[in-house]
Amino acid sequence: MAHAETAQHTEEEYTSTGINHRKLLMWVFLSSDCLFFGSLIATYMVYRGQSLVGPYPIDIIDIPITTISTFVLLCSSFSMVRALAATIANNQKGIQIWLLITALLGAIFIGFQVYEFNLFRSEGLYIYTNLFGTTFFTLTGFHGAHVTLGIVWLLGLFFVARKGRLGPKTVLDVEIAGLYWHFVDIVWIVIFTLLYLIGGFDAGPTAVIGPAPSMVPLV
Amino acid sequence: MGPCPQERVESYSNQFNGAGKAASGKRFQPRPLILLISLVALVPLLGCAPDALQSTFGTAGPVAEKQLLLFNVLLWVMVAVFILVEGALLYSLVKFRRRPGDSLPVQVHGHTGLEITWTVIPTILILALGIWSVFTLFELKDPPATADGALEVTVTGHQWWWEFEYQDADGSGRFINTSNELIVPVGRPVNLLLNSDDVIHSFWVPKLAGKVDVVPTRNNRMWFQGDEIGTFYGQCAEFCGTAHALMKFRVHVLSELDYMNWVDNYGQAPGTTEALTSTARKGQEIFMSTGACLACHTIEGVPGAMGVLGPNLTGLANKQTFASGVMDLNRENLRQWLKNPDDVKPGNRMSEQAPVYQTADGNISLTEKEVSALIEYLLSLK
Amino acid sequence: MAAITAAIPRPTSSATGIWSWLTTVDHKRIGVLYGVSAFILFLIGGIEAGVMRLQLMTPDSNLIDPDTYNAMFTMHGTTMIFMAIMPMGAAFFNFLIPLMIGARDVAFPRLNAFSYWVFLFGAIIMHVGFLVNAVPDAGWFSYANLTGIEYSPGAGLDYWAVSLQVLGVASLAAAFNFVVTIINMRAPGMSLMRMPLFVWMTLITSILLVLAFPVITVALIELTFDRLFGTVFFVTSAGGDPILWQHLFWVFGHPEVYILILPAMGIVSEILPTFSRKPLFGYPVVVFSGIVIGIMGWAVWSHHMFTTGLGPMALSVFTITTMLIAVPTGVKIFNWMGTLWGGSIEFKTPLLWSVGFIALFIVGGLSGVSHAVSPSDYQQQDTYYIVAHLHYVLFGGSLMGLFAGVYYWFPKLTGKFLNETLGKVHFWLWFVGMNMTFFPMHFAGLNGMPRRIYTYGTEYGWDNMNLIASLGYLVLFVGALLFIVLLIQSIKNGKPAGHDPWDAPTLEWTISSPPPAYNFAEIPQVEGIDHYWIQKRKAEAEGNPITGPEAPVDPSTIHMPSPSYWPLVIAFGVAWIGGGLFIEIPWPYIKYPVCFIGGIIAFLGVIGWANEPAAAESHH
Repeated sequence: MAHAETAQHTEEEYTSTGINHRKLLMWVFLSSDCLFFGSLIATYMVYRGQSLVGPYPIDIIDIPITTISTFVLLCSSFSMVRALAATIANNQKGIQIWLLITALLGAIFIGFQVYEFNLFRSEGLYIYTNLFGTTFFTLTGFHGAHVTLGIVWLLGLFFVARKGRLGPKTVLDVEIAGLYWHFVDIVWIVIFTLLYLIGGFDAGPTAVIGPAPSMVPLV
Repeated sequence: MGPCPQERVESYSNQFNGAGKAASGKRFQPRPLILLISLVALVPLLGCAPDALQSTFGTAGPVAEKQLLLFNVLLWVMVAVFILVEGALLYSLVKFRRRPGDSLPVQVHGHTGLEITWTVIPTILILALGIWSVFTLFELKDPPATADGALEVTVTGHQWWWEFEYQDADGSGRFINTSNELIVPVGRPVNLLLNSDDVIHSFWVPKLAGKVDVVPTRNNRMWFQGDEIGTFYGQCAEFCGTAHALMKFRVHVLSELDYMNWVDNYGQAPGTTEALTSTARKGQEIFMSTGACLACHTIEGVPGAMGVLGPNLTGLANKQTFASGVMDLNRENLRQWLKNPDDVKPGNRMSEQAPVYQTADGNISLTEKEVSALIEYLLSLK
Repeated sequence: MAAITAAIPRPTSSATGIWSWLTTVDHKRIGVLYGVSAFILFLIGGIEAGVMRLQLMTPDSNLIDPDTYNAMFTMHGTTMIFMAIMPMGAAFFNFLIPLMIGARDVAFPRLNAFSYWVFLFGAIIMHVGFLVNAVPDAGWFSYANLTGIEYSPGAGLDYWAVSLQVLGVASLAAAFNFVVTIINMRAPGMSLMRMPLFVWMTLITSILLVLAFPVITVALIELTFDRLFGTVFFVTSAGGDPILWQHLFWVFGHPEVYILILPAMGIVSEILPTFSRKPLFGYPVVVFSGIVIGIMGWAVWSHHMFTTGLGPMALSVFTITTMLIAVPTGVKIFNWMGTLWGGSIEFKTPLLWSVGFIALFIVGGLSGVSHAVSPSDYQQQDTYYIVAHLHYVLFGGSLMGLFAGVYYWFPKLTGKFLNETLGKVHFWLWFVGMNMTFFPMHFAGLNGMPRRIYTYGTEYGWDNMNLIASLGYLVLFVGALLFIVLLIQSIKNGKPAGHDPWDAPTLEWTISSPPPAYNFAEIPQVEGIDHYWIQKRKAEAEGNPITGPEAPVDPSTIHMPSPSYWPLVIAFGVAWIGGGLFIEIPWPYIKYPVCFIGGIIAFLGVIGWANEPAAAESHH
């Protein structure tokens, strides 16, 4: 979101690696965020099958609906790529449209999340209900917060584009936002796979007395 | 690696050519340092005390012994390494201190041979110690198999007292629930199943075995064996709240005969062996009604006294201590405790929850005479 | 935004006074801010230790009640680790890194300022608990489920969790900055293997911060959610497992201890060559050992959990990995000794502190090896033997290494020496005091004294050990007072030091003391690891010795980042996102709007920051 003149200044800055400072910063930040989501995902995995009361994933998780929202988010990554291409090609209209589409698709994804959360709540799953509710809502909630921040960022870029300040000289601004956006998408792929495609079939404790098979005894 | 070529280590005598004799040592005297280190080294003499009540050096059972053996070997290795390395450090400080007229020392950048040596040798030493300790770990995993098997006791940690439960104390299915003093026969492995009622505690009786944490939702196991008859002191070793420092317990290792006697006599209704005095009977009444102690405490043989919120008081008079090892069992201490437990053990649950303590100053709402009667009764619980 | 920037103009580089400090983006000033704050917090942590030693001086003491004592050991640990040692390290990173790599500032000067202000606000939030009688009291690693709302109903743990989160933001932001700075802003000719060792250690420390802090962030989120929103992460009645907290905490916690020691190791690696007049022995090996320690540090965390019932398989693995990490640590020590060996050693204060570091760290390292052996750790865990170990490595190690750095670089910062004689007295007071205080603890622990007990009976035989330890504290206390006195005296009347008082090899000594705002008039072309030694000796050989610093130039000819108030604004907003949770007057629910407003302030601050160019366009 910097002024073009200043961005020009930083673009010519000497760097030991040839990578712009801000781009390197984003990569370092993303590596940190990997550990953040990794810890939340690990918590979910450790607690799979440990909920003492329902509702359990198998009662609640709706894979078809979430597949649609996942697809929407994947499409937003595609539109982000288009936005970057438009920036490189100095296609002013293209930049605005593709940025807006990306933000819109992200918002639709959030819309699905909100709908899903409310549906779960109406079926009796709250963040405090059981381990499933606690881990599920915390993990997907923080992911949704990351997406929301990304949407705000993209909208900000959209308004900067409307002033004509995005173009081949300021590709970095779009590229860095793109890195963040793609990261958030990849994290969602992992979450979707683990919490829905795999964990979505978890049921409650079986009638057999004894610890449910899980990673808990190993840690 | 790097731009500077590796230089051969030259003989160090060269660099002091012309440097003359040692300077008049005004700048650094190693002697005070050595004196100080010796002084510090004297401190251990104050510290070695295997007779100390909870000393890890005064082992009385195979688990603690094996753990101590490992430590002792390590200790001597550590002492040897300490002397070698600190000695070399001190030596280099003295020998290579700057003297007037010193020329620039040889600009050595390193020595591959040395690097390899002081990487490989420590690695070998460390792996040897590490692998030995892994073997010890697996050796100590389970109690040895014996004819009558191990004595199984379930330990439950509470804030801030210990509960011990024997599902089968004497081989014939005798169930015993007791608190704060664990009685076991000599020479027989004891298998402990560790539970917690609230937060994480840690069961530690140093002379018998290293500690294992008592974790809610987990059933940790440990075992020990008392090879000497005697009383061994233990204490909670994981911070668990206000009175963590006062969550103590004892393990009494008795001869086989004494242990069986204890099991047989446990839980006899008060007044069975010797008749209750009239004061004691009054005390029992208070226990069951005005004091409402039965709401939290169990006394076997007394129908109605089945509370499980507090320690089981069966056979209290036979114990050495009460209030989880904090006070020796005698009249004065009992009086002090009953009058206001919070003065003895801040934060304790009894002061918090028992109706008789919900007074303005926390003092018990019973009269002196009633307290005396209670004490009489408690001391009759044999 | 335009309205705000019109109303409050951006400060110029020539601003003076408090406003210039509040808006500074100069890494040297930010380093001073960190250093002063860290020292004050160190003194506070020291008082907390004093309260404990006073209580434990005699058996069956009733001076301090258990709740207060428990708050003391909690705050002492939390303060010393997060608000004293870490920011002291940050002070050095800030002041030195750009100077050592030949740069004019860090990669993101405003982010740097932001890190400091968020740190300060975090430290303040942590201590607000004292004002409202809600001091954290569950230990510096606050094990679940004691920390749940059921067993710790007061607000103390909330202060602990929230302020640590805020402090975490500061650490992360700073770590991001230093990773980019070190990787991307080295002067031409300074390849990675020509960086001063302190820069290497800073890089590794920063990478550890980047990867480890998110883990404790998640742990704190889970704890806070349990306490505030009723989630069941650590609620045992819902199946929550308290051991999960321990795993998350120690996956962070073990790299954290390397974060605490590596900077001190880096400092010592700079000082030893200077005062031995020969290069660091085995530079590539010392670098490589640091990297190996950084990586292996991720594979040892469960040695803090040996007694939790992990099972012999897990215990064996962690025993072996923990023992193996002693190897690269030992290799470093041997290389330091190789540096001294054959040198021409001058016993100035920085050297004394560095040697003290090595001597004491060896003790701590050795006792650490005995903990690694899990069967014997069953006896040592949670006893004073562990307290002894951790203080040998953190006080004898980290703290003394950091003070070595203070004595070494004070002349560069101020142009004056710290009083050499008093400095030596300070060293000896702390060396002796430290051993008096912590050596007896080895014995107390092996004789059965657990940690975190507010009192003990005389029948256990720990009386003498505790008395000596408490007397040792007095020696440390006197040493600290002495340092304050000598610091003030040196600032006022210190002996003048030139640009290169120690005849040192690294870039920061090529410029004046104190350095000019722009650091280097000309970015140097680096010729080797010990660049300045190479330059000085070449010049001397040519008969034209270097006698002064790099010549100064007119500052207006060098384009430097301009001061800015946005970092302070955003930090303020972030502080309220956390601090808002404690506002319960006039109604309990006001906390959420307050948090939200904090978020808005931070958000607006980010927009202001983004719209502001790094350097004001004024001159030229």
